[in-house]
Amino acid sequence: MLEPISIDVISLNLPALLPMAILVLGALAVICADLAVKGLNRSFLTMITVLFIILDFGAVVGFNGPSHGFFDVLLLDGISIIAQVIILVASAFFLPLSLSHRHFREFRMAEFYALFMFMIVGFQFMVSSDNLIMIFIGLETSSLALYTLIAMHNRAKAFEAAIKYFTMGALAASFYGVSALIFYALTGSVEINQIGKILMQREFEPLVGVLAATVFMLGALGFKLSLVPWHTWTPDVYEGSSAPLAGYMSVVPKIAGFVVAMRLFEMLVSSGVVWLEQILYILVVLTMTLSNLIALVQEDVKRMLAFSSISHAGFMMAAILIGTTQSNSALFFYWTLFMFTNLGAFTMLWIVRHRKNLWDERYQHPFSKFSGLVKIMPTTATIMGIFMFALAGMPPFSVFFGKFYLISAAINSNYVSLAIIIAINSAIAVYYYMKLVIFMFLKEPVTADARLYATNASTPLKVIVGFAAIITMFAIVFVEPLLTIITKYVAASGF
Amino acid sequence: MEHILSLLVFFPAMAGLLGFLVTKESIRAYGISVSAIEFFLSIILWIGFDGSNAGYQFVEYLPFMPSYGLSYYLGVDGISLFLVILSTFITMIAFIALSIKNEIKNLIISVLFLEMTMVGVFLILDVIWFYAFWELSLVPMLYIIGAWGSANRMYASIKFFLYTFAGSVLMLVGILYMGFLYHEATGIWSFSLPDWYLLQIPFETQLWLFGAFFLAFAIKVPMFPFHTWLPYAHGQAPTIGSIILAAVLLKMGSYGFVRFSLPLFPDASVYFLIPVATICIIMVIYAAMIAYAQEDMKQVIAYSSISHMGIVILGTFAMNAEGITGSIFLMLSHGIVSGALFMLVGVIYDRRHTKLMRDFGGLASVMPNFATVYGIMLMASVGLPLTIGFVGEFLSLAGFYRISWVMTLFAGTGIILGAVYMLVLYKKSFFGEVVHAENKTLKDLNAQELTALIPLVALVAILGIYPKPVLSVIDMSVQKMLVLMDQKAVEQTTKEVIIKANSIGGTH
Repeated sequence: MLEPISIDVISLNLPALLPMAILVLGALAVICADLAVKGLNRSFLTMITVLFIILDFGAVVGFNGPSHGFFDVLLLDGISIIAQVIILVASAFFLPLSLSHRHFREFRMAEFYALFMFMIVGFQFMVSSDNLIMIFIGLETSSLALYTLIAMHNRAKAFEAAIKYFTMGALAASFYGVSALIFYALTGSVEINQIGKILMQREFEPLVGVLAATVFMLGALGFKLSLVPWHTWTPDVYEGSSAPLAGYMSVVPKIAGFVVAMRLFEMLVSSGVVWLEQILYILVVLTMTLSNLIALVQEDVKRMLAFSSISHAGFMMAAILIGTTQSNSALFFYWTLFMFTNLGAFTMLWIVRHRKNLWDERYQHPFSKFSGLVKIMPTTATIMGIFMFALAGMPPFSVFFGKFYLISAAINSNYVSLAIIIAINSAIAVYYYMKLVIFMFLKEPVTADARLYATNASTPLKVIVGFAAIITMFAIVFVEPLLTIITKYVAASGF
Repeated sequence: MEHILSLLVFFPAMAGLLGFLVTKESIRAYGISVSAIEFFLSIILWIGFDGSNAGYQFVEYLPFMPSYGLSYYLGVDGISLFLVILSTFITMIAFIALSIKNEIKNLIISVLFLEMTMVGVFLILDVIWFYAFWELSLVPMLYIIGAWGSANRMYASIKFFLYTFAGSVLMLVGILYMGFLYHEATGIWSFSLPDWYLLQIPFETQLWLFGAFFLAFAIKVPMFPFHTWLPYAHGQAPTIGSIILAAVLLKMGSYGFVRFSLPLFPDASVYFLIPVATICIIMVIYAAMIAYAQEDMKQVIAYSSISHMGIVILGTFAMNAEGITGSIFLMLSHGIVSGALFMLVGVIYDRRHTKLMRDFGGLASVMPNFATVYGIMLMASVGLPLTIGFVGEFLSLAGFYRISWVMTLFAGTGIILGAVYMLVLYKKSFFGEVVHAENKTLKDLNAQELTALIPLVALVAILGIYPKPVLSVIDMSVQKMLVLMDQKAVEQTTKEVIIKANSIGGTH
């Protein structure tokens, strides 16, 4: 006879599921609405989705129940809440980019919006759990949705990108599976917390097993976070996706990945295993430096931004390597500032997108396309220039403060050499960001026809760019409160 | 007078923003008016400045991000006062002399933003803000060189930008490390300079930090062997860019040495005294020799700038009041003289579209006023007594004499070499017969150019004959800084060097 299982509903802490539930409902609602009413306008779909995201946001921010829930699978601690907030805010800003002036097929389909919401749910699950299985489910939910979203762009390059991303993603998923399996075999648990405790007790014996599990996990997360040497898909996938999605991918999946990496590696690094620290150190330095060097020779702005985002991800891994409360706060802080700046930069690319490749056969956004933009569209060029300066870490623009805080976190925990490497890398990075500025400001225009540049501009896009530009320029006003909140949440969850 | 410093810093930027709304026809007048008001404000600052007070005056302090340790902290003392006036003055003069016609609106707005960063660097006492102004100054300059320069401008502007930017990122690490040290010592974060002055930093740490700051300053000055960006930048920059670059931007580096390196790291400064002095001597002699070999007038002046900056740094590292006061005075005089010289080259370039000396000759008979002004500036540059150039050079070298007379002797040869290349330049271009037919019909200085140049000539003479009002104000703050250095030094040898250099028998 099976024992009857009795579960106390209260102990399930169902409100913890509310944020995700809202978006799932939203996605289903959108699909149902599409079945009932044919030809829903994209502005309607976009705004409905944004509204659901806002509801979700409210549920996340207003959540004050116990942090564990649903058979202890869910874990809504401080970092999960900040990460969800970043994910939702980024989503709410990137999605309205579908309201571009020109009509793209994917934005006319209700499925796009439903998948978008499912993807967000996946990310939310991914960051709100320390259960390896739950994380895997979240990871795959979001990834599968994302592959499809990329493919919906319906260009030859988009299919190539989606397939590339899918195959690599599948490989990473298998890595993840193997790693989780080994961890389970070693400890009999799939909860990161428990795994950590048991491994500590056994002093990381058997070493080969732990090493294998860690390396496989690094492979899996390295792919998600596009760390060198698992970064190869990044530029091609960014190039093939539409600019909004590329920008989205440069921010959101990574923050989700960072949270998982933080939960996992923090536990391993803090145990003081030297080899692990060394592996991570090498990985961080490689990621920062190699991607920077490759970015130097790119001829396409989008590919340049792709490599630059890899380099920024390297900085973030450094924060995880350092592993203090300050560095973990620096990660979220940096990423929030980076998000708005990247939002601006990718939106600009979206605005200047043109149906035909007028400037180059191979690339959509070659540097030469932006030649002398300041003479044709001074405001556009200035705003783009500000985004570039911000990404380069020039004070007083937003990302500088992130860099500032990250480097001081490194110094405070005696990683002075790492701080210097970060600084040198920022110096290298200036070159490729400046390249665009130089093309825009110092070269002669290739055409005098401003319309070629503004084909895709619409009021919503301009509003988003303006918003991103204001945040980037006047970040100095809100960095203090932002940092205080982030530090509070990060410290509260014990990182 | 309460917020005059904030006004000084942000007035040009505000004016720059409003400048977007001014029509193309009146933008030049707008630029001149704004810069004149700014200059007037800086003069008011001088009038209100209490010359008997060595500390920071007109201080504005606003805790800005307390948990970061950031504050909005402005203050002026004798060391920075005249550098601010120099910045506002040179900007005004450069606007008056401006001869560029195309895209002039963007140019004037860029220069106004540049003015904000220059004044900001000299007035801000919070180091993070200092870093922000320091870095921001690159952006307008990049644009000025890159958009209005001559043929090879793109390369020159990129080189300028990357060199200086790369130099200063390590300074950022140094700055953050200083913040960390302050936190270790006191338990709170602070990035304000007067707070940092209170720290006693261990010797080893000082050496590293000195290095981190040194690179940024050395590139900006520029010191040998980091000077290679400067000839390119000057060679390609438009006249207004060259004037501001030579007159003010280079001074940021030497100001950094006085403001940061010496008082924060006295032991390291003394430790590195001889290597730095050696570099200075190489700068003085080597740059002078290259200047002699140049055929382009502008390059001669560019290399002579490097040579003179060598003496500025040498004076700074004399560790005594004469040397440091002299070097600050030399910064001012070099600002005025090199600014004027670049302006003069610009004048002749506008008329003939060449800067090569061999294309001229006999100009003295064709353009007598031009030749006179040029001659006066040249003498000031060489350091002839009774000109502004003499005072600073003499004091700097006299100050360093107490450290080492041999090295001073070597540096002194730079003055002789300076006389050689400058007089050769003058002889080639101004004396002899007019060989090129085009030169026979050149017009002499017009009213606009005279308006810009006469104040400079007047300053060269007035401050050359009676430098005391400026010197005494600088000296007051320098003395205070030396006492601070002496108190902060952790090594006995450092104290001994400072005492010996000052021959003051100890301040403690």
